[in-house]
Amino acid sequence: MNFQLRLDAESVEHAFPSDSLTVDPHTTVREVFLLLKDSNAGHVLVGQTDQIQGIFTERDALKLMAGGADLQIPVADVMSRDPVTLHIDDTVGKAITSMSHGGYRRLPIVDGASTPRGALKASGILHYLVQHFPAVIYNLPPQPHHKTQEREGA
Amino acid sequence: MILCPDCSFENIEGSDECQECGQSLTTLHLAEAATDVERSLLDDRVGVLNPKLPVAVAPETPVGEVLQKLVAQSIGCVIVVENEELVGIFSERDALQKLNVDFAALREHPVSEYMTSDPQTLAADSKVAFAVQRMDLGSYRHVPIVDDQGRPVGIVSVRDILRYLADKMGAVEI
Repeated sequence: MNFQLRLDAESVEHAFPSDSLTVDPHTTVREVFLLLKDSNAGHVLVGQTDQIQGIFTERDALKLMAGGADLQIPVADVMSRDPVTLHIDDTVGKAITSMSHGGYRRLPIVDGASTPRGALKASGILHYLVQHFPAVIYNLPPQPHHKTQEREGA
Repeated sequence: MILCPDCSFENIEGSDECQECGQSLTTLHLAEAATDVERSLLDDRVGVLNPKLPVAVAPETPVGEVLQKLVAQSIGCVIVVENEELVGIFSERDALQKLNVDFAALREHPVSEYMTSDPQTLAADSKVAFAVQRMDLGSYRHVPIVDDQGRPVGIVSVRDILRYLADKMGAVEI
């Protein structure tokens, strides 16, 4: 009976943060595209390992693809600068609020010295929820499987 | 009165299984939802998320056109529909992972070459918790909702779930 969501108490570290790839700001967008494909990732952080300057996500990639952009430009030209971040001590609840209000699906996590410590993805929050539900809810069939005509009398 | 968690039938007190659908009721006492958020997840059905109508394209639509549609309409995926039936889904993730740096050369190819075929779907009366679990299990960001004839009538996204959670937490101090 460990069914208790502690959205206001548990830190983002409990919501399955993922490691983030970090690339140098001079990396070309083309290289970033290939890196995202090879690592099956949806974002990279841009900057140095001790300081984030920006984030480049698959949404940014989509916009470039739709516009037929030249990919031989540095990622720094098209990244989102100074992204909203989560602190490593922030709660899962705060992460949900930040993501929902900003329309973000992933937020970089930083520690006290602004050093990147991975990223929290919306999928991590879903996984956190699933881990906290009682297993019984998932055994519910999406559709009632049979109907009885009437109650049995005794 | 015990409400069946599945079909919402009102069963008489003490029933072991739902008189309407046969779902076991004996496990209902296992989990006592402690907060409003928990209770909502277990009780609410996906309709409360106000699922948007999905944007649909035909299988032969050029993928380049689909990319522009995704950006212009600020959406993360389109569903692919043939004869009113859902046959696939194409998301921004598919765009990056499957087209990647070759997108310019491939833009005239039909979206059906790159879509995910026969996507996982939900019935309109599915519980929110069930939708969350489906999305988690398959790493989906979007799950189409279909009617009993398999026709798409809505789409639930991970964003909808986040917004729902944020609303439910409401004034909770965080």
